[in-house]
Amino acid sequence: MISLKNISKKYKNSGDEIALKNVSIDFKKGLIHGIIGISGAGKSTLIRLINTLETYDEGNLSVFEYTDLKKLNKESTRMLRKRIGMIFQTDHLLSRKTVLENVLLPISIQRKHTLEDINYAKDLLNEVGLKDYHNRYPSQLSGGQRQRVGIARALINRPELLICDEPTSALDVITTAQILTLIKTISKEHHIDVLIVTHDMLVIKEICDTVTVMQNGEIVESGILDDILFKAKHPQTQAFVREVGLDLSYIRKLYNSKDLLLLKFDESLVQENIIADMINILNIDISIIYANITPHRKGIMVIQAEDKQKEIIDFLKDKKVVIDYVV
Amino acid sequence: MLFNLEISEYLKALLDTLYMTILSTVFVFIFGLILGSILYVTDKDGLWENKTIYKTLSIITSSLRSIPFLILIVLLIPFTRIIIGTILGPTAALPALIIGATPFYARLVENSLHEIGKTLQETGLSFGAKKSKVLTKIIIPEALPSLLRGITVTSIAITGYTSIAGAIGAGGLGNLAYLYGYARNKIGVTIIATLLIVLLILLIQLIGDMVVKKITIK
Repeated sequence: MISLKNISKKYKNSGDEIALKNVSIDFKKGLIHGIIGISGAGKSTLIRLINTLETYDEGNLSVFEYTDLKKLNKESTRMLRKRIGMIFQTDHLLSRKTVLENVLLPISIQRKHTLEDINYAKDLLNEVGLKDYHNRYPSQLSGGQRQRVGIARALINRPELLICDEPTSALDVITTAQILTLIKTISKEHHIDVLIVTHDMLVIKEICDTVTVMQNGEIVESGILDDILFKAKHPQTQAFVREVGLDLSYIRKLYNSKDLLLLKFDESLVQENIIADMINILNIDISIIYANITPHRKGIMVIQAEDKQKEIIDFLKDKKVVIDYVV
Repeated sequence: MLFNLEISEYLKALLDTLYMTILSTVFVFIFGLILGSILYVTDKDGLWENKTIYKTLSIITSSLRSIPFLILIVLLIPFTRIIIGTILGPTAALPALIIGATPFYARLVENSLHEIGKTLQETGLSFGAKKSKVLTKIIIPEALPSLLRGITVTSIAITGYTSIAGAIGAGGLGNLAYLYGYARNKIGVTIIATLLIVLLILLIQLIGDMVVKKITIK
């Protein structure tokens, strides 16, 4: 759906500062993709390239059926932008327009909106949970509600891709979780792919299927969520993973042992006493080093087992627990 | 009779001042909005970024602003004579008032638009809207309260300018204050003329505040 090949970009005004260095990545259809990095890592530049607000110096970027965005004319550029819904931080609504007018804005800025448009806007407002707020003004809403308006507005042109630029960085933790859930629901119901840019690992952990970690204008690591969480290689990635309490590299350092096993429990195993059964049946001693509920509602656990490792692994595999070594 | 002057004299002077202030405010609003918008859109990261146009207009604007108003009137005498036909009376003061206040308001407009544009320009563009629509349907309407606050300040400055213009032949309250108070030593007339100017300025501020309050949504 989106494909970047060796994309490089320099900002000319700020002393030839390099914004992106040889960036290559594919964002596939049907998934929620997360891009994470600290400020200045190049993630905002990346999404500004995708919705053509900026252009690149080298490489090739294609989105949908448009290959090489650099060559698009004005008309195609605007067509492409209409197919991408943008969600910003919460301060991007028009203060002098009502909630309904704000949602209709992407249409009414181009042509007179029809009754059908109004009805669709109302449907969208219902969907984001703002049924009774049509005639309110943004200043009368909470941050979370404003972001819901922003989401409805991003959907009004029936986009195929939703780009969220730090969508929750102005929100508290609980509201953040609600907004992320909403984005996830919407991406499923409307069959929209999502690209989320954030500096917050909680956001990634909550809803992303894939993660791309950026640093100094480069992609330093990228892969599916579980791999990034449990097998982070780059120090920057490990630092982000540490933020959400999954510090396997720290456990590795502390125990420095080859006896550590990483167990992943699917949601379906929640009612079973697997560990207790295992200790009884195999008559063994194990230490539980770490346990947590992780993204996608999986349980993870790190155990230390000095002997009978083979039996333990066989027993757990039999119970459909996924096992990895912590090395 | 107030200090040996008919009430009708005061009234005529007040009307002249009102005439000059209102008419030039209207023109300054239009020209200032146009000039300020061009400054905004041609500035760095603007919708139609253009260094040459921006620099040129910026220098002209700043230069015009820095000419003292009294000198501007004198400099514009030939120009005024050509387009108005005379250099006396309230109408003859208009070119100088408009040319003097437009750069001032244009800078206020530029600032107002920058403040709104910072967050909303990209939002508008990301809808796939034309640049002109982003300016006229998002940025300017959203900046309206701030634009009107600016024109209130400008209008008050214009009222001040009319007094200077009045002193050298444009009529109005400034003329009254200068002619009687200074030239004929009737300080009472000056005091009343001053009071009227102060009242006028308070009234402009009041109207400005009311309109801004009405269109701002809290």
